[in-house]
Amino acid sequence: MEYILHILIMILLYVMLAQSLTLTAGYSGLISLAHAGFYGIGAYTSAILSVDYGFPFLATLPIAMLISGISAVFVSVIALRTVDDYFIIITLGIQVVAFSIMNNWMDLTNGPLGITGIPAISILGFEFGSKISFIILTLFLTALVFYILRNITKSPFGRILIALSEDEIFTKSLGKKVYQAKIASFTIGAMFAAIPGVLYAHYISYIDPTSFTVDESIFILSIVIIGGMRNLWGSAIAAAVLIILPEALRFVGMPSNIAANMRQIIYGLALVIMMFKYSKGFVSKSYVGQENK
Amino acid sequence: MNQIIINILYTGFVYLIISMSFTIEYYTTKFFNLFHAIIISVSAYLVYLFSIQLGSNIYASIIISIGLSTLLGILSEWLIFNPLRKKNVKPFQIMIASLGLYIIFQNIISMLWGDSALSIRQNNIEVGKQLFGGYITNNQIETIIISASLFILLQIFLKYMPIGKNIRAVSSNSTLSNIFGINANRVFIYSFLIGSLLASIAGILVAYETGLSPNMGFNLFLYGAVVMIIGGTGNLWGLLGGAFILATAQHLGAYYIDSKWMDAIAYIILILFLIWKPLGFSGKRLKKVEI
Repeated sequence: MEYILHILIMILLYVMLAQSLTLTAGYSGLISLAHAGFYGIGAYTSAILSVDYGFPFLATLPIAMLISGISAVFVSVIALRTVDDYFIIITLGIQVVAFSIMNNWMDLTNGPLGITGIPAISILGFEFGSKISFIILTLFLTALVFYILRNITKSPFGRILIALSEDEIFTKSLGKKVYQAKIASFTIGAMFAAIPGVLYAHYISYIDPTSFTVDESIFILSIVIIGGMRNLWGSAIAAAVLIILPEALRFVGMPSNIAANMRQIIYGLALVIMMFKYSKGFVSKSYVGQENK
Repeated sequence: MNQIIINILYTGFVYLIISMSFTIEYYTTKFFNLFHAIIISVSAYLVYLFSIQLGSNIYASIIISIGLSTLLGILSEWLIFNPLRKKNVKPFQIMIASLGLYIIFQNIISMLWGDSALSIRQNNIEVGKQLFGGYITNNQIETIIISASLFILLQIFLKYMPIGKNIRAVSSNSTLSNIFGINANRVFIYSFLIGSLLASIAGILVAYETGLSPNMGFNLFLYGAVVMIIGGTGNLWGLLGGAFILATAQHLGAYYIDSKWMDAIAYIILILFLIWKPLGFSGKRLKKVEI
């Protein structure tokens, strides 16, 4: 039972990560490989604040989101000088720099040894120590993130994002502020990525840099692509499938290290197949078509 | 200090050969081929398989490994990237497909040979010769000579050989070259052949120096891509400059700050270049960087 609850919690965390990237990569077309970096910023901010300074959860969560958001603004101002494949390479570089900081800045992050003894979340005296209570909290936050993201994507701002990912120059010619919209989309995505980071740090109670590597970023991006790019429910389902997959493979008797490799091979294969399927562009639903009907 | 200069020289030439191998593919096909990283590591692992595990002759196994991994590169273009291009897929989507292929092969390698570092050296580690107060190993000298001569050969090839001229034609304007009867698909295959050949040579050379691990190719490939972005794809001299800027900055950073920041330094240089000189310092980038 504990094991099933653990898998459920991991699924919820990855649903949040994938959905926040869905806004950035799917709706505004900014394919980012730096998402695990922001996930890590959230986790480290909360861990350092609560272990070294004794901040409560209600304070660390907004601070972690704020710091992640501020670094996202800086990063996007630099990265948005480029587009498409250059943008992917630049975000990959930023991910490597972020990992390098987590791994090497001994004074702040304790380097490869990681931070231990992160306390369980407690809100107004109630401690979320057990898995059941933690899952309820995570479910609530996941639903909240989902609700906010759904409203953002349906709002006029969301339509600007879709428009600029289809044709940037045309959107600009309509008088929309393309550059600001891109920065906003990137920043909102990064801020929401900090929430699962905070939850992860308090849940596992120990973090080290290996949880926030380039491979993690690639994994999150794969969830978004397999989920259908502009599909919040799709990325939720894809996250669940990809988290359960190695457990299922282990269940049928595959050694655990082979199962981890098999999962990666399967989602690598899925990426290649998806690119053949999406040859007409990433759009899973034809928005233009719907408007005209 | 002399040791640093020797290290810079060696690293610079390693970066040069990798960025050449990658740029020759990017030059014609115009997408970031992440699968290129696999060619680098596969050739090294094949040498390990033939020469250590099967115990065959070292030169024969090197030649067979280069041949097989070049074949793998050509097959990836022929079976995956070319069909994608025919469906008018955008370059960054082909890049994601190549990322998928990379993940598949990287995991196959780590399933077959494990994640830990391996060595393909048969003799003991040599001390190296003394040169201007620093030490340099035979393998490093070989790497420098091979890389420099491949650089010159590639220059001659692109300038005077018919296939090289076709590659330049397709890279500067593929529609116009098509009108003149150059088959772009064949030129893509040729550029993958040359690129994979160079990459497999680079992989083996690096493996003899530092050993092999499943993600060695990815790290080297990223440095190659950084060099290409710094140098610009305008001509090969830009790559030479980019390779040495990167190597110098990394080794000076390692000397004055700490060697563990070498990765970060590479990307900080990349970011600085994108802020001040988004066209690379050879200045010949036409596409994309600014709208």
